[in-house]
Amino acid sequence: MQFGIFSVGDVTPDPTTGRTPTERERIKAMVAIALKAEEVGLDVFATGEHHNPPFVPSSPTTMLGYIAARTERLVLSTSTTLITTNDPVKIAEDFAMLQHLADGRVDLMMGRGNTGPVYPWFGKDIREGINLAVENYNLLHRLWREDVVNWEGTFRTPLQGFTSTPRPLDGVAPFVWHGSIRSPEIAEQAAFYGDGFFHNNIFWPADHTKRMVELYRARYAHYGHGTPEQAVVGLGGQVFMRRNSQDAVREFRPYFDVAPVYGHGPSLEDFTEQTPLTVGSPQQVIEKTLAFRDYAGDYQRQLFLMDHAGLPLKTVLEQLDLLGEEVVPVLREEFAKGRPATVPDAPTHASLLAGKAGKGAKAATAADEEGVRV
Amino acid sequence: MRLVVVSAGLSVPSSTRLLADRLAAVAAADRAAGEPAAEVRVIELRDLAVDIAHTFTTGFPAPPLADAFAAVAGADGVIAVTPVFSASYSGLFKSFFDALSVTDEDALTGTPVLIGATGGTARHSLVLDHALRPLFAHLKAVVVPTGVYAASEDWGAEGLDARIERAAGELAALAAGLSTARAPRPARDSFEEVTPFAERLAALRPGG
Repeated sequence: MQFGIFSVGDVTPDPTTGRTPTERERIKAMVAIALKAEEVGLDVFATGEHHNPPFVPSSPTTMLGYIAARTERLVLSTSTTLITTNDPVKIAEDFAMLQHLADGRVDLMMGRGNTGPVYPWFGKDIREGINLAVENYNLLHRLWREDVVNWEGTFRTPLQGFTSTPRPLDGVAPFVWHGSIRSPEIAEQAAFYGDGFFHNNIFWPADHTKRMVELYRARYAHYGHGTPEQAVVGLGGQVFMRRNSQDAVREFRPYFDVAPVYGHGPSLEDFTEQTPLTVGSPQQVIEKTLAFRDYAGDYQRQLFLMDHAGLPLKTVLEQLDLLGEEVVPVLREEFAKGRPATVPDAPTHASLLAGKAGKGAKAATAADEEGVRV
Repeated sequence: MRLVVVSAGLSVPSSTRLLADRLAAVAAADRAAGEPAAEVRVIELRDLAVDIAHTFTTGFPAPPLADAFAAVAGADGVIAVTPVFSASYSGLFKSFFDALSVTDEDALTGTPVLIGATGGTARHSLVLDHALRPLFAHLKAVVVPTGVYAASEDWGAEGLDARIERAAGELAALAAGLSTARAPRPARDSFEEVTPFAERLAALRPGG
């Protein structure tokens, strides 16, 4: 099972000091956070993509390419890549390039984006959001798997004899997750392709997440990719920890109370009761995270949101120390218990390449047996 | 027959709740011989005010509000009564239905709704037809022809009872028809209605 962090990339004033980081500071902080993630033994760093203030990460592959050069093991991902407003051809090219530079340590998560004006800024219509996701991803999927693509669709200019370059590393497309909080259509899309499904869990009650994941698992099996238990599931989570849980609550409350998205709303206590947010000791984080399995089943990837609401970099790095040293080792051990051997790990470049070689070998053997030259 | 009363009165007791209770009592009593007694559930929005506001910051209803939404979605008839504030329904009343429709946009589709309003004077009685009726038309409810407006003076005058009788009778007739004609309607379940992906994809193919 993979553990990592995902960043929204918001530039938010620290409510305890009133200070707002500069864009440069925030961008450099995201890099420092990614490097720290590798240092403390996490597996994944994912960045959001936004095209409006107060967010900085408009160019994810630039940032991830830089991080790739400064890390060895970390898988670089997104949360999310906008499949609606980006040109799928450019996504295919950018991420294949990143794959080569990062030696395959790349996957990505498709998302639609929920900021209305971004659509018209990129010449798109938000009312077509689902259809854009469907058509664009279908093209992206082909561009990574077919050397020469002839294509015609509704939203993009046609392609004749087009080859997206560079070709994916070793001929293996980056693994794709589809992220959605409330659209069953996206769970269906992930299932159709046998891709991963990520539910960003964090602001929603468990029963909602449960139903989305159940739908995805059932449809994954329906499309013949494996059993429901073998579907590839990722979940979000959000935590703030101090060794003493009262200290965590005291320190996080001023951030929580005015946080973008849910600030000025329910109390910290109500919110932690109704959603997966955990503010407390590492042990409390462990217990709450392990309970995700009760409603999502054995899953493959757990990403935590750690750097938001104006938390200073120093605090975030301390959080990552706690996460890497005290929480994730226990989670790895506990999640492994009772996990059926048939439940796969999250696909990586290496596993996808091995799978491809395996299939190739099988095909070759079958062909030999039939006396056909391949 | 399941009747759900939504009352946006703020004082305890309130004239809004008083009107709502009168309407509910008459509608519930209006049943054919042998028909089981109506179930009446009263939702006081005052009790849910904070949860309603939080829905706008969190995007999901807290459990007590989710329970109220489920009751409304499962009702055979709804009695919705608001005080008049600033020449319209109260903000709390509107917010409840805003939050409801964000959570379940078909919660009131096809449901008979009796609209009522209370005010200090009769000057605002057209609020029923200029504010409440369009709101429930938008929510695709079936608004009964008679709405009931009760100004302070109406509580001591003739005529209110007759309007209550007529409106509640209209609601009971529509709701009774529904309660026998259809199974209890669960809240809309988008997880049960997923379009198979291939269909969605095919619809986007040029000429498809």
